[in-house]
Amino acid sequence: MTYAFTPEQEDLRRTARDLFARTCTAADVRAAWEPGAEQDRSRWRRMADLGFLAANVPTAFDGMGLGDAELTVLLEEAGYAALPEPLLETAAVVVPVLREHGSAEQRARWLPRIAAGEVLATAQLLDAPVAPYGTVADLALLELEDGLHLVPAERLTREQAPSMDGARHTAALRAVPDPATRLPGAALAEARARGAAAAAAVLNGVSRRLLDMAVAYAKEREQFGRPIGSFQAVKHMLAEVALEVETSRPAAWYALSTWAEGRPDAVLASSAAKAAATAAAVTASYHTLQVHGGIGFTWEHDLHLWLKRGKALEGAYGSLRHHHRLLGDAVISSPDLMATFGPTLSTAS
Amino acid sequence: MTTGQQQESRALAEWRAEIRAWLEANVPEGGLPDPEAGAILEEHRAWERTLFEAGYAALHWPVEYGGKGADLDARIVFQEEYERAGAPLRMNLGGLMLAGPTIMKYGTLEQKEFWLPAILRCDHLWCQGFSEPGAGSDLAGLRTSAVVDGEDLVVNGQKIWTSGGLHADWMFAMVRTGDPQSGHRGITYVMIDMRTPGIDVRPITQINRQTGFCEVFFTDVRVPLANVMGELDGGWQVAMEALAHERGAGRRTYVTFLNDLAQIRRFVTALGQEDDTAVREDLGRLLTAVTVYRHHVGRTVADAMRGHVGPEASYNKLYWSEMNAQIHEVGMRVLAGRAELQDDEKSLPGAEKWQDAYWFSRAPRIFAGTNQIQKNIISERVLGLPKEPRR
Repeated sequence: MTYAFTPEQEDLRRTARDLFARTCTAADVRAAWEPGAEQDRSRWRRMADLGFLAANVPTAFDGMGLGDAELTVLLEEAGYAALPEPLLETAAVVVPVLREHGSAEQRARWLPRIAAGEVLATAQLLDAPVAPYGTVADLALLELEDGLHLVPAERLTREQAPSMDGARHTAALRAVPDPATRLPGAALAEARARGAAAAAAVLNGVSRRLLDMAVAYAKEREQFGRPIGSFQAVKHMLAEVALEVETSRPAAWYALSTWAEGRPDAVLASSAAKAAATAAAVTASYHTLQVHGGIGFTWEHDLHLWLKRGKALEGAYGSLRHHHRLLGDAVISSPDLMATFGPTLSTAS
Repeated sequence: MTTGQQQESRALAEWRAEIRAWLEANVPEGGLPDPEAGAILEEHRAWERTLFEAGYAALHWPVEYGGKGADLDARIVFQEEYERAGAPLRMNLGGLMLAGPTIMKYGTLEQKEFWLPAILRCDHLWCQGFSEPGAGSDLAGLRTSAVVDGEDLVVNGQKIWTSGGLHADWMFAMVRTGDPQSGHRGITYVMIDMRTPGIDVRPITQINRQTGFCEVFFTDVRVPLANVMGELDGGWQVAMEALAHERGAGRRTYVTFLNDLAQIRRFVTALGQEDDTAVREDLGRLLTAVTVYRHHVGRTVADAMRGHVGPEASYNKLYWSEMNAQIHEVGMRVLAGRAELQDDEKSLPGAEKWQDAYWFSRAPRIFAGTNQIQKNIISERVLGLPKEPRR
């Protein structure tokens, strides 16, 4: 279902949360900032052992053949844990694009290895100057001047360009356009939209974590002889974060389910999801740092690990303005808004 | 295929088709003006009776009381189609949404038989008597007193911001039966016949010059004790249940806001602003908000259908009322210098109505518990933050 998770999906969420609670603590995220830390693939392999990377790979390629919507819970949990590894790019962008648009040779070469956790894949789309884990990725989806390319490591040129979020291990990736790596034209719009929808889900997880941290702090920190969370000025900031994040989440769930269910509004739904998640993330970033006060402004406090992941993802897969324009163009070019965006009668008889 | 397509169950899809066809055949041409003057009032009553005769007056009421016992998903489908068709504003929501469910829970058999069918047929219009000049957000500070005298309560005091008070036959009210300092423990919930001697209703002119609400004065008004809902001094709980209905999902869907967006789109075209990138960004931002609201309601429905009443219900009123204000703000910005005119010929078709709607879009941020009160509720009941010191 689009708006409610199945028991199996809830199980998957618990499994992910348990794994990340053990292997992706704030201290682990901090450790992942060390140069060279991206060489350690132990967590990635554990994710593969639990089936996270095989979930939406077809069974013919050693996957579990589940829908992309199964990923929704994993993406939210990845954001909640500030997971360093590029689950978003590998599982929510590269796998579906490869599965739907890759050549037989490309699929046979990569999908089984991705499912087994042997491949870290990344993506550099739109005007993105870098790709996360670009320093070590084995495979990259690159938007080049003549379209979308699936480029293996041996054809990549990498140039390190450190991110303010040290756990992202960003690098500028380049490749010479080659017919052998080029994907069909339709792949590009799908890759961009899938990236936007998946980034929205991860961002919502990040914002949710920021909110939880600030709520915990507001309950415990006392001033004027009482917890600061009892003051309306503080309460209202946190209520605004909760409102924006919780209303943004179902928009991402819907967007991630559009492809599998063959809905025609996948691109617009993905833009709306990313725009909503980005706006919510900005509110979360402002209010949660404000609630923490001076301690939140220190390197020592963990808050900035999530603040920076959020800020990096706000710009990824299209900025707020990019998606607002795309949706605004759709409003302007649509002759009848109700017919385009309103409820429709089912055509099935 | 269109981009708004949703995959619905067969039953829901059939229900949608049924409603759409019925509305196309029955909605009065050009809709109805807001229920204000007496003549128009009768047209609205006639429309409500048309709904009643078709069985659509109270989908959410149980079948035993004359409703359809419809689940939330079917109600949302009805409401979407209702808004899509531009059907008249429902005029007796106080009775249908608030008084009715309270009577079902607390009324005697005779009371149910007397009040409920009259609400369904729109024979009785109901208004809400909660707010007072000194008790708005701080509802528990209300002072309208009610003293037991024989078989009656004798009511003295004043209510304010009473929507529909001028035409109402009945009021569901909160009155103070405890001592003045008793707070929420000394409040009683009672049904008052608006034709009882001693009741004086005075209309208040709103910011947009319309008379949508009233002051209601009570001087030695005798109300039978039998009209008390729940226990004497036990009205706070009854009222909180009623308010939860008022704020929850189902009253408004994204379709209303899509209609508003379509009106802005017409202004943009008429003024040749289609290529203005700032206008496009504004429209994209609004479409994002409308989309988010649609999926938020979808989640609320899915949760309700599985028996979860999640905290997201508290987000509903806060979200749509802020979005509604933003939408109308953007429309005024598009109209720019024309926004102040009250003359469509010198402005644009629909501009004067928009101006009126603009001012009204500022009301939902205040009514049904101000948005600041909603934030208190979210922070305390959803996020678990400590209560602030209150009396």
